[in-house]
Amino acid sequence: MKSKIRIVFLKELRETLREKRTLGFLAMMVLAYPVLIGFMMHQAIEKSTRTEREGINLTVIGGAQAPTLMAQLRERSVTIADANAAEMTEAAIGELLHSKKAAAVLRVSDDFIEDYQAMRPAQIELWFDSSAESGAQRRELEEVLQAYGNNIASARLLAHGVSPATLAPVTVQRYDTGTNASRSAMILGGVIGILFFPAFMLNMSSAVDSTAGERERRSLEVLMAQPAHSWELVGGKWLACSVLAIVGVTVELIVAHGILKWLPLEEIGMSWNLGWGELLLVCLATVPLSLLSGALYIALAMNAKTFKEAQTTLSIVMIVPLVPGFVVSFMELKTAQWMYLVPMLSNQTLVKELAKTGDIGALPFVLTFLCALIPALLVVAFASWRMKSEKYVLGV
Amino acid sequence: MIEVHDVRKAFGAVQALGGVSFTARDGQITALLGPNGAGKTTLLRTLVGLLKRDHGSILIGGVDPEQDPMAVRRNIGFLTDQFGLYERLSTREYLNYFGELNGMDNASLKKRIGEVSELLGMDDIIERQTKGFSQGQRIKVALARTLLHRPRHLLLDEPSRGLDVMSTRALRTALTALREDGCCVIMATHVMQEVTHLCEDVIVIAKGHTVAQGSPEELCRRTGIANLEDAFVSLVGTEEGIA
Repeated sequence: MKSKIRIVFLKELRETLREKRTLGFLAMMVLAYPVLIGFMMHQAIEKSTRTEREGINLTVIGGAQAPTLMAQLRERSVTIADANAAEMTEAAIGELLHSKKAAAVLRVSDDFIEDYQAMRPAQIELWFDSSAESGAQRRELEEVLQAYGNNIASARLLAHGVSPATLAPVTVQRYDTGTNASRSAMILGGVIGILFFPAFMLNMSSAVDSTAGERERRSLEVLMAQPAHSWELVGGKWLACSVLAIVGVTVELIVAHGILKWLPLEEIGMSWNLGWGELLLVCLATVPLSLLSGALYIALAMNAKTFKEAQTTLSIVMIVPLVPGFVVSFMELKTAQWMYLVPMLSNQTLVKELAKTGDIGALPFVLTFLCALIPALLVVAFASWRMKSEKYVLGV
Repeated sequence: MIEVHDVRKAFGAVQALGGVSFTARDGQITALLGPNGAGKTTLLRTLVGLLKRDHGSILIGGVDPEQDPMAVRRNIGFLTDQFGLYERLSTREYLNYFGELNGMDNASLKKRIGEVSELLGMDDIIERQTKGFSQGQRIKVALARTLLHRPRHLLLDEPSRGLDVMSTRALRTALTALREDGCCVIMATHVMQEVTHLCEDVIVIAKGHTVAQGSPEELCRRTGIANLEDAFVSLVGTEEGIA
């Protein structure tokens, strides 16, 4: 005789897999999710390394009037494109900046030489698009312009017999200790934070359908009157919805791992030091997380009278596991042993530490595995007890 | 054989069953009559061990559902007013599921599904997914599920509702066949004609109490009313007069 738990499991699984919407969602989460993460990371890398590789494109109008400035700009490896003053109306400048062909446009006024020679403030216009992500380039240009102005001022003061040092009573030297690595650690932390989220998403519809849905369709009473213990019914439904999350998260982690390995993370000072063996261990340690979410969903959804009611409750519960991760990263807590005792946070911490150092010993894996498995079993036991209770039978 | 003696059940202050006693014999179809809210659903749920009685005794084929609910359920075909199907499963898959839950193996399941399907005339829907089935088709599938594992006891709550003439006749044939097999059938119904045609024994319950048990003729004789429906109304309405 086949075990009852297996019969229920297979039936629920078959029923879930027949629904195209669920399958579509599953495929999307499993494949599109890591690809999306990868794309975001790729953009981040791209952005932070763009300036160093490409230099600055600058369009200049009337540049011939200020040859020294042009020379100084070229020294700072700015690529200068000369433009005709007549053609460059304000609209044309705006369009040029919008198309991102130039980081900025410099317009030397027609009266520049005259004003310069008369020692009146000579006008140079700097046109830029603050909504474009070229802030760093703009700052560099402004520095060149500032230095150019200071040079002229120094020369003029010197000609009057005044020391140029008068102009600079204070010198400010800037040191930026923020490295690419520390910035990208935050990005990677965010990515790791959402890496395990599918464990709480993929099993939701199946859990709701097999409990609240069954109640709503009025088939639960008959099922409960079958010669099967409530723990067999709950267990079968629990495993069926959990297995979707287990498979989903495992595939998602593998895809994400492939993408993170392939990305040139070292360019922004990040590391993803996981090997395939460690990844498989992580996948294994993550299995109980899916079991826990499945157990919670079943235990909660079985008390809802309708599909909709259950869905609303679960959407709220779904957010909860993300909270500890956010709190830890918000308060910038250092990794501690207790973090391996909080489901979800333990998985995040595990991957974070592995990505950093690569070798953390066996204990974190074991703790991560057990801290989700034990509550999962307790919740399933509770759900089974609840299904057997008279109060529940009366509500069905 | 189903023996129920002085079963009581209260939910808080509400006394759903206040003392139900009857005996339903094998090889007979016993009608369970009672107005809405008389406690029929509570009684049926107590019989399969979903609810625990506060008082009294129940024996189904000699087994107390509270002591060994699994053994009792294996021997019961249970059809209530809740007969939701699984929309994404075909009729055959639905029947397979419940057959397996009742411990049937594949070979006997296949054979038995063929038999029930022929008995209830549902060859046309056996391979179809149950989504969009009519009320009659749903009842048929639920009935097939009830009969599938050859239970010795059948608890049927209004099995004929929603059935067309042909299906009603098929149901009647099925019930007659069960009786001849020596099964013990309890059938809750509101259709007096069905009772007169099919049932050897009638149990009348009202407000959680057994008001009367006997053959339709006996009930008519006892109340002095020739028409069973009128007799039923008089029984339910004037329970003081009945022992």
